[in-house]
Amino acid sequence: MNCRECTEHLYEFLDRELTPQVEQEIRQHLADCPPCGEHFDFEKLFLDFLRARCRAHGAPAELKLRILRELFDE
Amino acid sequence: MGHGMASTPTPPPTPTPAADADKRASFEREALVHLDSLYRVALRLTGNPAEADDLVQETMLKAYRAWHQFEQGTNAKGWLLTILRHAFINEYRRRTRHPETVDLDAIEPFSVFEELQDDDPQGTFFDRIVDDEVLRAIDALPEQFRETVVLSDVEGLSYEEIARVLEVPVGTVKSRLFRARRMLQAKLYDYAVGMGYIKGSST
Repeated sequence: MNCRECTEHLYEFLDRELTPQVEQEIRQHLADCPPCGEHFDFEKLFLDFLRARCRAHGAPAELKLRILRELFDE
Repeated sequence: MGHGMASTPTPPPTPTPAADADKRASFEREALVHLDSLYRVALRLTGNPAEADDLVQETMLKAYRAWHQFEQGTNAKGWLLTILRHAFINEYRRRTRHPETVDLDAIEPFSVFEELQDDDPQGTFFDRIVDDEVLRAIDALPEQFRETVVLSDVEGLSYEEIARVLEVPVGTVKSRLFRARRMLQAKLYDYAVGMGYIKGSST
């Protein structure tokens, strides 16, 4: 696998959407190619950062009560 | 079609106290546990906490009424998100944001990683960007990119699940995700440069 092919699979790899075989080929390329390795590390950091920043908030407690009341007439 | 929907509509089971208790228990166990996810998605779609509340409440009500059509053991989160999105399109989008038409070719896949080579190749500037700024950047994305990135990066759905909720091919999910993430990176990069967290190579 060359750098271009590897980069084409960047997000599918990070999103765990590839077959084990292609995933293994990418791991091998990343181990052999530090620039691609750094690029993938950066993108993984970005996705982890997005997730962490956006998952901090959930539904307000009043909303849950409102829904329970409406559904089950509590 | 859709998540776990039976192909032919099943009539609701005859209500008895025992059946009601079962229905309630399974709904709480499998549907209400996704309340936080539904709320986060609703908030990003409507851009407004009061409307997000109403949209989620309506979704839960519709889901509860249709609960007998949900196939136990299939993906309840995807099923609920499909209901939420339909409700949003039918009732909220008209009054709130308008669906933008997006010229895909106009979006340059700007690579922040390449910009950062000399300055911050490890991306440590991300640590200094707070929640609100990230949410603002997501909210500024065109709707089709916003919903795709939220379902993937915030709610962790697979490409296949996202494709089913949004009713688009998996290839479309992939290309939207690629562009949405690049747009977000570019916005957050510009923000970080503006705040002086990083120098910025073009200025």
